[in-house]
Amino acid sequence: MKKTLTVLLSLMLICVLFVSCGKKTTETSSSTEKAVAKATKIGFVVINDESDQGYTWNFMNGMNAALEKLKAEGYNIELLVKRNTTESSICKDYNTELAEEGCAVIFNNSYGFEPYMLEAAKEYPDVQFVGMTNCGGQFDNNTNTFNAFASIYEGRYAAGVVAGLKLQEMIDNGKIKADQAVIGYVGAFSFAEVISGMTSYFLGVRSVCPSATMKVYFVGTWGDATLEEAAANALIDKGAVMISQHSDTTSPALAAQKAGVFHTGYNTDMTGAAPNASIVSCRINWEPYFYTFIKNLIDGKKNNPDYTGTMAEGAVLLTEINEKIAAKGTKEKVEKVIEELKSGKRQVFDTSTFTVEGKKLDHAFALDTDGDFTPDKEEAVYDGAFHESKFQSAPYFAIQIDGIEWLNAAF
Amino acid sequence: MNTNLKMPLIRLAKRDSLKPSVVWAIRIASVVLALLLGMIPIIMAGKNPFVSYGIMIEGALSKPGYIRQTVKRAIPLLGTALAIAPCFKMKFWNIGAEGQITFGAIISSAIAIYLGKSLPSFPLLVLMAVAGAIGGGIWAFIPGYFKAKYNTNETLFTLMMNYIAIGIVRWLQGGPWEGRKGTQMIPMFPDAARLPNVLGIYCGWIIILVLVVIIHVYMNFTKHGYEVAVIGDSENTARYAGMNVGWIMMRTMFLSGAICGIVGWMLVSGANGTLNSDVAGGVGFTAITVAWLSQLNSFAMVVIAAMLAVIGKGSATLQTKLSVPASVADIISGVLLFCMLGCEFFINYKIILRGKSDKEVQ
Repeated sequence: MKKTLTVLLSLMLICVLFVSCGKKTTETSSSTEKAVAKATKIGFVVINDESDQGYTWNFMNGMNAALEKLKAEGYNIELLVKRNTTESSICKDYNTELAEEGCAVIFNNSYGFEPYMLEAAKEYPDVQFVGMTNCGGQFDNNTNTFNAFASIYEGRYAAGVVAGLKLQEMIDNGKIKADQAVIGYVGAFSFAEVISGMTSYFLGVRSVCPSATMKVYFVGTWGDATLEEAAANALIDKGAVMISQHSDTTSPALAAQKAGVFHTGYNTDMTGAAPNASIVSCRINWEPYFYTFIKNLIDGKKNNPDYTGTMAEGAVLLTEINEKIAAKGTKEKVEKVIEELKSGKRQVFDTSTFTVEGKKLDHAFALDTDGDFTPDKEEAVYDGAFHESKFQSAPYFAIQIDGIEWLNAAF
Repeated sequence: MNTNLKMPLIRLAKRDSLKPSVVWAIRIASVVLALLLGMIPIIMAGKNPFVSYGIMIEGALSKPGYIRQTVKRAIPLLGTALAIAPCFKMKFWNIGAEGQITFGAIISSAIAIYLGKSLPSFPLLVLMAVAGAIGGGIWAFIPGYFKAKYNTNETLFTLMMNYIAIGIVRWLQGGPWEGRKGTQMIPMFPDAARLPNVLGIYCGWIIILVLVVIIHVYMNFTKHGYEVAVIGDSENTARYAGMNVGWIMMRTMFLSGAICGIVGWMLVSGANGTLNSDVAGGVGFTAITVAWLSQLNSFAMVVIAAMLAVIGKGSATLQTKLSVPASVADIISGVLLFCMLGCEFFINYKIILRGKSDKEVQ
């Protein structure tokens, strides 16, 4: 007991020492709060940190750009970031803490954060919570929960066009035969987000290279460099001359470069990692969303509980095309496609461009409302196309179309 | 001269016991040293170390909400330290608390998932607790059995069992218990399966404080506790005294695992509200440090667990407020633990340098 007492006393001593040092910082921060009228605090809970050079990096870039823009307009915003968050009660704690710190809105950047975020949202009804890449905020009855995604399938399609032009050029030059235009796709999991992305990419390829086919390998994780590399190599062994991916690391690009085949990436420009293989990437630009959301919040305007960023408003982008290896004239052609996508003249999931088990798709539901995880509401097929991200921002196209061969599945 | 040449540069010798005041002076000096060393990475990150330490304490203790979160971090840490204490007293190196927590959590979750909608809250929670304890107990009993019967290496065995338990959760998360297809997530439990809050924190903290007393009594005032201590000092003595060493080992391991299982139950039912592969989140390993630093004294564990929770919560705040990389906060807590464990070495041993054979250093 004597020992315990001594430990306690010495600890208290240290605590007192620190608290006395800490006080100064609180005073300075509270005086800056009052200074500006159009000021607020916002919170951001992120899964990795900027050093991942991909997923979280892309989010942080969007956030920083939006804040920069708002600052120029006289809005003073303090950003508090919680990095390296796990998808567990830690996530709830971080949300709670940011709410306690006085944040007006808290953004969460990973799908798995949402259940924990929603728990915190119940306890802080005056704080707004945004689940990015998720879809729960729109369906619960809370007015302080939001979710956001982007129509990345448009970007996938455009990246597919770039890849398809390259494949067609290789066929025209006699480098490969028409039936050798095989794409290898490294996917994370076999569910809607990935299926929607790979299908739109494939349709983009086939719009300019009709003989192309695709093989998909699902690695069952979002970011495992070794597994992704192994998957890419397996696909190359099966004859893939173009690799694409829906996973977080650059290792598929490196595998493609090593094997002398080409690559189209995701989330981030991968030409730095694989300058001789990676042609282009598509990514979501979160800046417009952050900008609008925060501005509306301060100005007292309502925000959309279920936001979908589109190519037309600059929320979906292609990275710089690697001119050194891209097919001739790619830039002009893909710009034309992007224009058509923006104006709505071209539909990504045009039902005349693909078949399902040999038949044209004429019916598919978009939403699952009864929680059995199969869509049961809202007809997505009309006016000659499957309308993705129309009824909710999170992707729901989960159909296996002809021409794409699944080597496995991973849920 | 000749004898000096053959002498190694540094020799270690066991110390006679020091006066408690000296012992505590060394301990406090080690903390101060750790805090000084911890300033180096902060300065390298371009921040003021005094402000940083202030923020850490403030972030852990300055608001009721922060204190609640700090306590929430301390609960599993303390519970697990209590759980492994009997094993360590026995010199049975159970580093499988991580797996025992996880497996207890799995069994407990199974009850919540399959019976959560049909049972009222109180019996459901009790059933979950019992199931969790049995689950964790079994997970610990297996290496205990093999150690007792075949003298297998318990360190490796318990360590490997961790990965199996975590693997099972991964499979459940992506397979039979997965909610929305492809999410890799088990849905939140129904409300009946959630532990109620007391003072804003799930009531696990009360259970753990009761456990502190129970373990203290068990270790110091019962026949079981005595047997464990004797085996820890000398297995042969225990055998000579007619104790069934194998049986005591298995029994103690089951008990240890059962407490880990209860921690697992509290984590799924209280903290998280669902099961995921991160449920133990390294607690099983950090708890070893807690148990060791408190020299297996359950009341000292409360203090050490609280201190580690303060550091953990404080570094999370430090990261946000000063935007120092998370790794800096990790370095600070690492340095602190290292110094605190290291000072125990100097308390037990003295260093004798060549040529100064009679004078002691440190």
